Amino acid sequence: MDSQALWLTLRLAATTTMILLIVAIPLAWWISSGRGVVRAIVQGIFALPLVLPPTVIGFYLLVGLGPLTIPGRVILNLLGHPLAFSFAGLVVGSVLYSVPFAIMPLVAGFQAIGPEYVEAASLLGASPVRSFFDITLPLARPAVLSATVLVFLHTVGEFGVVLMLGGNIPGTTQTLSIALFDQVEDGNYAAANNTALLLMAIAVIGLGLVYGRRPWRPIA
Amino acid sequence: MPSPSMERSTRHEVSIQHRAGPLDLNVQFVLDAPWTALFAPSGAGKTSILRIIAGLDRPNHGLIVFRSNRPPQPPTEVVYLDTVANIHMPPHKRAVRMVAQRPALFPHLNVLENVIYRMPSMVKNGEEMHSNEQHLEAVLQLCRITHLTSKMPSQLSGGERQRVALARTIAVGPSRLLMLDEPFTGLESDLRDHLIRDLRLWCERTGTPVLLVTHDIGEVFAAEAQVLKMHSGRIIASGPAEEVLAAERTRLIQRLQS
Repeated sequence: MDSQALWLTLRLAATTTMILLIVAIPLAWWISSGRGVVRAIVQGIFALPLVLPPTVIGFYLLVGLGPLTIPGRVILNLLGHPLAFSFAGLVVGSVLYSVPFAIMPLVAGFQAIGPEYVEAASLLGASPVRSFFDITLPLARPAVLSATVLVFLHTVGEFGVVLMLGGNIPGTTQTLSIALFDQVEDGNYAAANNTALLLMAIAVIGLGLVYGRRPWRPIA
Repeated sequence: MPSPSMERSTRHEVSIQHRAGPLDLNVQFVLDAPWTALFAPSGAGKTSILRIIAGLDRPNHGLIVFRSNRPPQPPTEVVYLDTVANIHMPPHKRAVRMVAQRPALFPHLNVLENVIYRMPSMVKNGEEMHSNEQHLEAVLQLCRITHLTSKMPSQLSGGERQRVALARTIAVGPSRLLMLDEPFTGLESDLRDHLIRDLRLWCERTGTPVLLVTHDIGEVFAAEAQVLKMHSGRIIASGPAEEVLAAERTRLIQRLQS
């Protein structure tokens, strides 16, 4: 089994998940806390990676982060190397690719919490930020867990973005799903079987975490 | 018999015009009694008025001003809402408390954690903590929920939930106005009368005026409240309960006798 690819995959998925939670929780809160055209557009934009072919995202990022564009040149000057074909580049691609899997459960989770709890907290003197941390976030715990697991699993399983943006460099950009592809190409079905089983196990365990959990018992 | 706290005067001046769906509100009134009861049939817009005073809803037009004259403190004036000047103070800054008709207890916290939410800190050292503990104890006793502290909201009956919501609201400490939206419905009448009596004493001591929304005439008399009688979005009478609700009272007594 390819422990290098496993380690890289887990590291990529964990980094992506952490970044996305930090970004998506405030964003989802903002989307769910009102109505209006701006919110709808923002929500739509962040749902785009869901329907775009991953290779398209990868291609745009490859070009956009390369030396042909201004942001690409800025990054090149800052880092000394292009983002593409590096671990950092993979993280950027994964974050963009998995963003709907964080935003969607979180928005649904926040929206499912009745406004009466936050209203009650505000009447007790809690500011909106205070009541978010005291009330909304704890009540949305199942949604946060779903978002975490889905983003993690989705990143573990991504293929198109990684292939376009990262190439296939063992130890740097070769994730498990790319390794699996390689093994099949090489006709090494025994190794491919192991890799596939490993990916399967990660997915099953992750989903078990989401669905094996009971939500808050609602007040009748 | 005027107690010392009643000489200190606070008043809320409320003026609201609001149309939303079938509701057409147009009310002007002043809250300056220790207890005021907003008495009206269901659907008259009582809850809307409370939500607007609390700051949860914005009316089309409105002016809500709080004035306090409590020597030795200098007189103060706080504008909660002034639609002309585009002032809308957010609810958490108004120091107006409300017990909603459907108590929204935080489902992830047990009864005690609900009650001490936003209560002055329990973790400080020394005298302050001691007085806070006494305060908490008094609140729990007043609302008759001392035996429930470790339960979760989902394990409570409707009446128990309402009492916990009341406890949570008064535990926070002094407020400019305490609003109760039919908080005693579903409570057995003996318990209700005791609770109202204790709450009256509590609010008198802390100098907190109360606005009670109800359609239960018994609650109004138990609270010895000033009455604002509403009908379809308008105040149609105001004054002491004996005057304003005389007809209703007679009708009720006749019905009980027959």
